[in-house]
Amino acid sequence: MMEQTPPSATGLTALEKVIAFVDERVGLKTIQAKMLNEPVPGGSRWAYVFGSILLFIFIMQAVTGILLMFYYVPTADHAFASTQYIIHEVDYGWFLLSYHFWGSTAMVVCVFAHMSQVFLWGAYKSPRELIWLVGLALFGLVMGFGFTGYLLPWDQRAYWATTVGVEIMDKTPVIGDFMARFLKGGATPGQMTLSRFFVIHVMILPAGLMGLAGLHIFLFRAAGPAGPFRGTPEEIKAKTDYFFPRQIWKDIVGMVTVFLTICALAFWEPVVLLEEATPDPGDYHPEPEWYFLFLFQLLRLKMFGGEFGQFVGAMALPGAFMALLAALPFIDRDPERNIFKRPIALIGWIMVMAMILLFTIAAIINREFLD
Amino acid sequence: MTERESTSPLKLGLNVLWSACWTGFPIKLAIALLFLALGMMHFEARIGLAFLMYLASPVTVFAMPILSMAFEPHLGEGFGIALLFLLCIPIDIWAMGVVSRTVFLEKLRLEPPDGLALSLWIKTALAGAVYMPILWFVVGFVTENSIAMSHALFETDLLKAVPVAEKIGIELTLWGSVSLGVLLVMLLIGVTLVGRVIKSAAQSAQPTGQSYQDIITRWDLMRVPADQGLMLTAVTLVGVVLSLLFWAGLPVSTPHPHECCKKPEVKAQPPYKPVDALNKNEKAITVLAAQVESLEKMKTEEEAAKEKEKDKGKAVKAKPADAKAPVKAPATP
Amino acid sequence: MMQPKLKSKVRATDREIGEVTRVIVDPLSHEISHIVVSMNGSGERQVAMTFVQSVADGLVELRAAARDILELPPFKRDEYVTTHEVEIAHLEEKVHVTPGEVLVPFPELEKSVKRRTFFMNFTHVIGFLIGLPIAFPVLRYLMKPMYSPFDNGWLKVGNISKIKQDDIGFQFKYKRKVKEAYMPESEIEKNVWILKATPAVLDKVYQGKDLEFKDAYGKAVWTNKKDVPFVAFSGKCPHLGCGYKWRQHKVLGQVFLCPCHLSIYDASGKVLDGPAPRPLDSLPIRVSATGEVEIIDMEFKAGTKTQIRII
Repeated sequence: MMEQTPPSATGLTALEKVIAFVDERVGLKTIQAKMLNEPVPGGSRWAYVFGSILLFIFIMQAVTGILLMFYYVPTADHAFASTQYIIHEVDYGWFLLSYHFWGSTAMVVCVFAHMSQVFLWGAYKSPRELIWLVGLALFGLVMGFGFTGYLLPWDQRAYWATTVGVEIMDKTPVIGDFMARFLKGGATPGQMTLSRFFVIHVMILPAGLMGLAGLHIFLFRAAGPAGPFRGTPEEIKAKTDYFFPRQIWKDIVGMVTVFLTICALAFWEPVVLLEEATPDPGDYHPEPEWYFLFLFQLLRLKMFGGEFGQFVGAMALPGAFMALLAALPFIDRDPERNIFKRPIALIGWIMVMAMILLFTIAAIINREFLD
Repeated sequence: MTERESTSPLKLGLNVLWSACWTGFPIKLAIALLFLALGMMHFEARIGLAFLMYLASPVTVFAMPILSMAFEPHLGEGFGIALLFLLCIPIDIWAMGVVSRTVFLEKLRLEPPDGLALSLWIKTALAGAVYMPILWFVVGFVTENSIAMSHALFETDLLKAVPVAEKIGIELTLWGSVSLGVLLVMLLIGVTLVGRVIKSAAQSAQPTGQSYQDIITRWDLMRVPADQGLMLTAVTLVGVVLSLLFWAGLPVSTPHPHECCKKPEVKAQPPYKPVDALNKNEKAITVLAAQVESLEKMKTEEEAAKEKEKDKGKAVKAKPADAKAPVKAPATP
Repeated sequence: MMQPKLKSKVRATDREIGEVTRVIVDPLSHEISHIVVSMNGSGERQVAMTFVQSVADGLVELRAAARDILELPPFKRDEYVTTHEVEIAHLEEKVHVTPGEVLVPFPELEKSVKRRTFFMNFTHVIGFLIGLPIAFPVLRYLMKPMYSPFDNGWLKVGNISKIKQDDIGFQFKYKRKVKEAYMPESEIEKNVWILKATPAVLDKVYQGKDLEFKDAYGKAVWTNKKDVPFVAFSGKCPHLGCGYKWRQHKVLGQVFLCPCHLSIYDASGKVLDGPAPRPLDSLPIRVSATGEVEIIDMEFKAGTKTQIRII
């Protein structure tokens, strides 16, 4: 019943001999078994695939990002030209760039899906508080990736979206000016901004993400999977299986679906740049990436007008919401995990999602009113 | 235990449709991607709709042609669309089979009868073909009217002064919730219909005598093919062939949007521009008002002139002024 | 929870029957479900914890007779894995029966080997099929600038009036426009050695055949006719690409001399001394009626015996 093949009478194959050599010294088979044979209570589930999918998307972003760096240069005089070179001259460059672009959208969507799944399953509750906190930090990093990466093509859209975003951060009391100058590398956006955003996007955030993701997975394994929130012990036991192969298989089907979706989006709308960035916005109306649109629209409301109002709308309110999320496992001590028995949680989740959706769509509608 | 809850038609329908949709989806998506890469089909902006129609589930597969004929939701062009539609049929039948057998075993504790896949697929596809156009029409009607009503609301004197961003937000909430509510209700009704179809198919089925653990093991092992080597080799070969086609067809530099489906400069959504409409109306009104004013002025001048003329004794017949010509109202947008 | 230690003696109601050889734990509840008793050699039996009356230091007392225990099903080691081979978090906090073997049963669904191998192989297939479609585009993407097509444009380098004597090398400097990828167009300075050859030297250069230059597809670009007295040599030494000079050598007379590694060539480009693997590379040359000299700029791989064009 064990998965090891017994040594046959005729001796081991060459590959088996190599594996046995390493195994004797490192304990390879035990490590592998320990990593893979984790019983998932209630069985592997499609709902659990989002964590692995996020890892897959990150790896794909890293791979396509590295490939893009073969031709992209982060200088104000060549960033735009090199990006256009990738899109128009390099074989399949348009495809890899569009994949990278849509991959970032997929990452944000899956982050929302993963956080929602964890929230609805109550898997942030004791003893999983630390996993949740690290996860929130990872969420922040993903948003940071989106924000910094957006500037790199150095076209009008990139330049002005970043300018507006950093100006908003500037409104933070006390430290706002320092933060904004730090990001811009000066008083106005220019080469220094591009260099800083590039190093943050390509070195600092990836290192941070890899470290935190490793910690996230380690903490998850230490606590064990939470499993389904309902079902009798008999049902749960009957359906229990190991992480490998069933959950891994579901993970990979999820990955392939996401991969194909990103490719399809790359075909449907390949990346097209606007004109090169200039200090004069002209007719162009700045707009951030779609996953920041709801904040963007929020700031258009009259109640957030004025300097302090912009700070409240853009930084204080979202910040307070994130603080609430962070405090969640410590406030919500009820061990009940069934979402249908946690009305506040369910309604809260629906309302937050609805609000974000509403404001995003409103921002899109608002485009027509800008002229 | 959970048996009683699971046999409600709504839960049953939801279970089967949701699972069948996602079971077939990756395969359909791979084929759709290949067709996109080879330029065999082009989608317009409403790709979300395309997804729902083609890739979602058995119930939509017949509905799509009917809808294109009746209501013209033009999704795109290319013979790849028709081909994809044809290929969805066997995939859906297979997905239906896997899902329905699992549900029969686990939730209903019944032996799945032979030919369940095909019979269920035909019934659900026909049900969809009838129901989806109704849903489309109803939801479309309600949405249009609620949008119009919410606009009208904000054109009243009371609410005219509300700033743009707030107005958009509130309007969207109003018509959005109405539209969404109607859509959800229609969907629930449709899903329950499918649930009833499945339940009637279950009437003739025999109960299995097996224990819970055995049932779980059975449907779990159903997913393991009898000849693994053959299946895996076949999948790999098909994948390799599709990859080769993909490489051959993938455009080397950015594909230009097909003539049919160029993204319009304005949004593809029906452009309702209340401010523009208001402005246009206002302009028209000011023009009309100015015309009326000038007419009145002319009239008073004429009358004054008439008086003068009368006084002078000479009555000059006032020329029928252009003011008599009917003023055409500008066409309302 | 009772913690029967391994190697404790086991006693049924009537007599001692053996010792605890293994402990079985339920993977979900983390509770000890069974002990395995050695039965003093008559085959291990799996005994549920419900049979255990009490656990004291080194002794486990059962509430059934030895006969009843013997009738229990024999212990099947195959249906279990050790806790080293399975990941159960925080097990040690609940179960204190080390040292020895603590076992965990396979979940029911995992008992089918066919199932495990199928999903494992299917996962590998899908993983392979994710990587495969992007392999080719990525390769082409990376290789884009590696094999750029040749530029076979004619460049003016000067006038033959500069050449005062036969069989003497004269250096002509010229500029070549270069556009690399997205960089703005720039100019690089190059030089070419041209000489007006007497028939004897000309014969040594061409060896009776016209010199044909082909492009990457094998199509002829230009032919240097063997009777045209003007010869152009690429300014880069075929050894490692250094720029060479025309000098007076003590023994060999007037020669082309490369200062890097002292390759020496005669007026016809033939190697007289030094590490050069082949003679000087000839370039396409044409001279107009007014004496304007034009060449096609080419570069060849350094250090190889056969001439391979790279630019």
